[in-house]
Amino acid sequence: MDIRLDGVSHSYGATEVLRDISLDIPSGTIVCIVGPSGCGKSTLLRFLGGLERPTAGDVLQLGQVPQDCLNPMTFIFQDFALLPWRTVRGNVSLVLEDHALSAKEMQGIIDDVLARTKLSDFSDALPRQLSGGMKQRVAIARALAVNPAVMLMDEPLSALDSQTRELLMDDLIALWTRTPFTAVYVTHNLAEAVRLGHSIVVLSRRPGQMREIVHLDKPLAERGHGDPELEAHQRHLWDLMRDEAAAADAELLNV
Amino acid sequence: MSETLPNDHMAEARTVPFRGGGFRPRARRGVGLVVFVALLIFAEWGTRTGFISALTLPRPSDVLQTFGELYQSGLLFKHLVPSLTRLVVGAAMGAAVGISVGVAIGLFSYVRAGLVPLVAAIFPIPKIALLPLFVIWFGIDEGSKYALIAFGTFTPTVVATYAAVDNVDRTLIRMGQSFGLSWWSIVRKIVLPGAMPGILSGLRISLAIAIILLVAAEMLGAEYGIGAYILEAGALYDLERLFAGVVILSVLGIITSALIGAVEKRVLRWRS
Repeated sequence: MDIRLDGVSHSYGATEVLRDISLDIPSGTIVCIVGPSGCGKSTLLRFLGGLERPTAGDVLQLGQVPQDCLNPMTFIFQDFALLPWRTVRGNVSLVLEDHALSAKEMQGIIDDVLARTKLSDFSDALPRQLSGGMKQRVAIARALAVNPAVMLMDEPLSALDSQTRELLMDDLIALWTRTPFTAVYVTHNLAEAVRLGHSIVVLSRRPGQMREIVHLDKPLAERGHGDPELEAHQRHLWDLMRDEAAAADAELLNV
Repeated sequence: MSETLPNDHMAEARTVPFRGGGFRPRARRGVGLVVFVALLIFAEWGTRTGFISALTLPRPSDVLQTFGELYQSGLLFKHLVPSLTRLVVGAAMGAAVGISVGVAIGLFSYVRAGLVPLVAAIFPIPKIALLPLFVIWFGIDEGSKYALIAFGTFTPTVVATYAAVDNVDRTLIRMGQSFGLSWWSIVRKIVLPGAMPGILSGLRISLAIAIILLVAAEMLGAEYGIGAYILEAGALYDLERLFAGVVILSVLGIITSALIGAVEKRVLRWRS
């Protein structure tokens, strides 16, 4: 299933946040969206996930949703959004309980996703007992459990320290290499974008418009920490964004 | 591995003064009991030496003796059972309706717009003032007492509940929606557990109010009950019996507070 954004614009009252975004997200690729703060990256993601409606334009799903997919557009949030009163297993089972699954099927799915995210030993732990990185792995496991057609990742690594971030990036690459998934990955961290993105969409500051799409052909598994080719891309992206980011930083917040 | 400065400054070396700590109350077992016992011993000593006159305060040992007589004569349970029934029935009704209405206010804009001003108008009314009205509406028997206690517990429960629902982390609700959870699932699995801490601390207050209203209701037209017992003792200026009744109320308060504490410990285990 592919995703198409067609002429999407949005304003909150008098504040225009997004202007005429048209973008195709082909199945099986990771599209990163970068841009200065307040450029409407996260808003765009909420349109894709159906949590908000754009003032103009369409968000389209092209093609059939895969059969075994329980929740086509699935979010991974920056602040993890785990229920603190449920264990790791309970948090994953939460998103399966509304579907007609037998206890055995549910058990099977949960065991599988916890194994894939290396959480099998922590299935009975409560969120408060887990580190930030583990919490985000639980959120990833929960997202995998519904077998999403597209993963919508809203700065998933921004709340983590840089070492944990490296580890989780490796985990994400390993997950993608095993079974390629489609993802839209919003971030302000350019290093993440060049490590994980098949293409990188650069948005301008508010109102967010598409400035450039950078395509990276190097396979994800071959991209390493401190790769000179990636560094060059990262520098190019930063050159595109620097002035805008500085201008966005100096703006008064009145949204 | 270590790196040190040359030693010539040692003469002026001082320990960095500690200025952290404090502002973190910790559980200190038994201190409450010590304060309580100390006060009792002081009262006993004061009344025995005549430092406190018998009209000011009854002797604690006399109160204990009165309590013993009350227990032996079987009157204790004759007063306690109707009181506890009234408390349980009235508070359960008030809390149940209060939590339901509070959740509805928290979830539906129209219910909120319609009922919040009404609750604000009802809250400051001393519910005891309405007792005569309740007597007419629900009869002089148990009905008016249940209604008074229920009404008194209702308002604080409503306010605590809808504030608690308002405080549920919206990102968790968005998460539930983004996974396609049904409305009912979101309410049951995200909103209610998230509001539970606030609801329980509201119940603490509501139940204390329920005990106060219980006594008030029993002072007006009840043959048996702790309130009736205290009123009768007060009319006769029988301070020992008055205090025996008050002690029963205090114990009742401690028990309900401990019960809520136990429920909190079980239901809110997920909090550190």
